[in-house]
Amino acid sequence: MDHNWGYVAAGYGITTGALLVYGGWLWNRLRRAQQSATDGD
Amino acid sequence: MSRNARRVFGGVTLVLLAITAVLALWVSPADKEQGDAMRLLYLHVPTAWLAYLAFFVTALASALWLWPRTRSTTWDLLAGASAEVGVLFTGLMLMLGSLWGRPIWGTWWEWDARLTTTAVLFFLYLGYLALRRTADTSEQRGKRCAIAALIAFADVPIVHFSVNWWQTLHQTGTVFNPKLDVQIHGTMAVTLLLSVLSFTMLYVCLTLSRLRLAELEEGREQRELELAIAERIAAEHPEPAVTV
Amino acid sequence: MSILREARLVAAKDLRIERRSRVALQQIVPFGVIVLVLFAFAIDPDRGLLPRLAPGLFWAALLLASILAVNRSFAVEEANGARDGLRLSGLDGAAIFLGKAAAIAAELALLELVLGVGVIVLYDVTPRNALVLFLTAVAATIALAATGTVYGIVAAGLRVRETLVPLLVLPAVTPVMLGATRAFESALGGVPSEAWPWVQLLGACAVLSVIVGVLAFGPLLEES
Repeated sequence: MDHNWGYVAAGYGITTGALLVYGGWLWNRLRRAQQSATDGD
Repeated sequence: MSRNARRVFGGVTLVLLAITAVLALWVSPADKEQGDAMRLLYLHVPTAWLAYLAFFVTALASALWLWPRTRSTTWDLLAGASAEVGVLFTGLMLMLGSLWGRPIWGTWWEWDARLTTTAVLFFLYLGYLALRRTADTSEQRGKRCAIAALIAFADVPIVHFSVNWWQTLHQTGTVFNPKLDVQIHGTMAVTLLLSVLSFTMLYVCLTLSRLRLAELEEGREQRELELAIAERIAAEHPEPAVTV
Repeated sequence: MSILREARLVAAKDLRIERRSRVALQQIVPFGVIVLVLFAFAIDPDRGLLPRLAPGLFWAALLLASILAVNRSFAVEEANGARDGLRLSGLDGAAIFLGKAAAIAAELALLELVLGVGVIVLYDVTPRNALVLFLTAVAATIALAATGTVYGIVAAGLRVRETLVPLLVLPAVTPVMLGATRAFESALGGVPSEAWPWVQLLGACAVLSVIVGVLAFGPLLEES
């Protein structure tokens, strides 16, 4: 039986990375948008 | 959702995702046939489910926007938010499937009906997102994007049907041999269920956040536009214009 | 005025523009032929692969050229507010769709003839089962022209129309590309009777895309 941990690490790594990048981008933009929304009012 | 509810929901999602990771990577045993590559399925299955759910939500929201009685900008923005998250999950699903296929099937890619349909789906919605980004006004965007989303959604079964047919007419030895049928039980089943649950919650979090962002930005654009118009009027009429 | 008469007016207008500007004849058709020649460079012609791959290459070349035809069809509506004129003309949206799609289909038919000769001459293909080839071409052409016209109006008036149209159209016509290629393969080298399911699929695609266009074109034109 092959273990193939390399593939598993790549899969989990890329998934986590992509979700973190997207989530972080969303978080930042959201914070900035919320700030400018309260500034404008 | 209120601010606090959002925070609690987000927090629970993160905790569940962490538990899923521990279960998927350490607690659950390696599969007898597939070894540890099977662990990729704990991510592949939920991303696949969410990709289809996200595009279904996009189609539903688009239909609700097109229906005059339920027309509201929120539906249009929700369609966009869901499609964006859906494209992200579709991309991940293709990547994970490819990483799983390499050790198990011995190939990165197989021109199998499901895979090919998903790849076409990915490009269909990539085009949809590109279309969304380029429309100038929200009215202009609404109708085009809603119709494009519905066409894309209706196209999926036709694509699947034709690819499926192509593959059965040109049978080149199937890659799914019965030996690979994963026997799911015990820890594995729990892990998979939890994974699907936590990823679905993640989808809800991401989509709602994306929707909120779109709404805020839409509102800001509107305010900036009004400001610019007011400035322009003020510049052309040095005397304070009479407000009507 | 009936819808068909209105559609004929629009188609005649588009074809008249093409006859005078000769963009289709002097740019789109040569483009298709160049693609055929490029394929021969990509695939070593000496190994006998070209005749076997000819159906797929033929349709790939046609698909690429059809993007140009769709872009061209909506580029002529861009200048001088022609699209506003179309919107104000009082013509039925469905009729405008049918007219524009018919004009594109006519251009594609011409292109198919030229590419067909090109494939016979350059790729050493012997045409067989003319009926299957003909029906396949008719159904695929209608489906391509109708789908292209729908996405043409979806992207009309946007600054990025030229680059957006291929991204929208190409994934959507996957079934057409598949069906037409398999049908041609069966007709030219395989078992001709295997072509019929594909011809039926293409027919269904053609009917569906025309229905979608007839329903959606009017509302989309209003908005563009």
